[in-house]
Amino acid sequence: MNAIPIEYGLILAGILFMLGMVSVLIRRNIIFMLISVEIMLNAAGLAFIVAGSKWTQADGQIMFIFILTMAAAEVSVGLALILQIYHQLKTLDTDAANRMKG
Amino acid sequence: MSRADIIFLLPHLMLTLGAVLVMMAIAVRRNHFAVYVLTCLTLIVALYFLPKTASLPHNVGVLFVVDGLGVFNTMIIMLAALAVALMSYAYFDTREERTGEYYMLFILATFGACIMVISGHFVSFFLGLEILSVSLYGMIAYLRKRERSDEAGIKYLILAAFSSAFLLFGMALIYAATGDMTFEGLSGYFSAFDELPILVMTGVGLVVVGAGFKLSVVPFHMWTPDVYEGAPAPVAAFISTISKGATMVLLVRFFLAIDGFRFPVVLTIFTVISIASMVVGNILALRQQNVKRILAYSSIAHFGYLLVAFIAADELGVEAVNFYLVAYFATMLGAFGVVTVLSHPERDAELLDDYRGLLWSRPALATVFVVTLLSLAGIPLTAGFVAKFYLLASGISTNQWLLVILLVVNSIVGLFYYIRIVAVMFDSAEEREARPAGYVGNFATLLILVVLLVWFGVSPQGLIDVIRNLVGVG
Repeated sequence: MNAIPIEYGLILAGILFMLGMVSVLIRRNIIFMLISVEIMLNAAGLAFIVAGSKWTQADGQIMFIFILTMAAAEVSVGLALILQIYHQLKTLDTDAANRMKG
Repeated sequence: MSRADIIFLLPHLMLTLGAVLVMMAIAVRRNHFAVYVLTCLTLIVALYFLPKTASLPHNVGVLFVVDGLGVFNTMIIMLAALAVALMSYAYFDTREERTGEYYMLFILATFGACIMVISGHFVSFFLGLEILSVSLYGMIAYLRKRERSDEAGIKYLILAAFSSAFLLFGMALIYAATGDMTFEGLSGYFSAFDELPILVMTGVGLVVVGAGFKLSVVPFHMWTPDVYEGAPAPVAAFISTISKGATMVLLVRFFLAIDGFRFPVVLTIFTVISIASMVVGNILALRQQNVKRILAYSSIAHFGYLLVAFIAADELGVEAVNFYLVAYFATMLGAFGVVTVLSHPERDAELLDDYRGLLWSRPALATVFVVTLLSLAGIPLTAGFVAKFYLLASGISTNQWLLVILLVVNSIVGLFYYIRIVAVMFDSAEEREARPAGYVGNFATLLILVVLLVWFGVSPQGLIDVIRNLVGVG
């Protein structure tokens, strides 16, 4: 059986990470920005799993579970804040939520 | 986990216990004062259980390294947290009905910072950082009725998550190349190279980006002024001291372990970041009219200064970083303490006009503010001066002439905007709405901070000896 070289896995993770990053920077809707950040975090998680399988250690997968947990906590707080913002502004456009400048 | 391990982690365990107790106390009955006392007691008990210096260093598994550096900074963080807690009571008492959860988040954030300073593994690094960040999201947006608090909260959330993704990807790349996530193991791996492989180099770069966001150094500083402005004043004090200090200590530990400054690329990156932070922080502060934003830009510049000692990365450099952190903590807490005391229930005292004639209407408070501003500017007889002197010494001893000269030039530029606030306070007092009365806890905290600032400025030797003893052990 041919193993998949680990470079492929890392390159895939790198591409996902880049897509997430570009998307955070160009999106103007807060929910989409949150989703994009999740993509970046999961790309990092994928890289950990690939690295863990290269070294045949469980560490990579353990780290992935921690990342998932953290991402879930972050999203729950994020959505709560987004709800608040929507109540106040009636929009999720980041340009509207930009009253502080300087 | 052995008995000894538990004893060494007791301060941290006490903090988690305190958070749970606070949560249960809220469930039974909401009483702001009771929760506040419980929080302060938790911090005091945790301080009491700090390990004795003679028994250091001690490794708890692979995750934690309880050494002099860690214990000293845990102590500093807990003392700073105590000061912030004392300020928070008066602040939230007049502004928010549901105050209990703030203290729970507050203890957890402190816990995260304390974990960061003793972590010796990527997992504990990451978890400590996230416990700190996720608690901070809630704290920043705590005053729900205020217009800008949600905006500050969501900005911090998106950028903090964005930067943790960078940090994690960097860690993953380093792990992919080395097969090890402990700082100890990495130090063995890194010492084998003269030139870093591209994969590891990218990883280190991404970790620096992630940590740079937390330290709010240029070019990762964009969130800082907005978050400081939107967050409640005590929370802004927390971010500018504890969150940044813990990240700095962690970076020191990481880069000492991998001996990162042997590699010219790393050295160049940090030199550029340091110069950019000093220059940009000071120049942007010049045209601000908002005191909280001035303090934000000033904290950016201060971390630029601090990186000079960080780059030196020898024994003197680590001492200088620790001394600087103590002086910076006391100064920033004092400055934000004054902002907290002067704040109206509807909005924080952030405009320069709020301070006009303060010297005549509230002389004691104005004196405190003048001392902290002078310490920020690095005027002799304050802790800020000695700390800056220490940075210069460590920069000169490693021949960082460019950085040293820029540090001096920037200190002079910085003087301008600090003195401007002082000048506003000297203005003649006009008739104004009454300023809010303060609480005893606030004044006691401010008094202690000012005494410390002057004391460390006049006779720093005691503190230097303590740092030398502790940091020398590790």
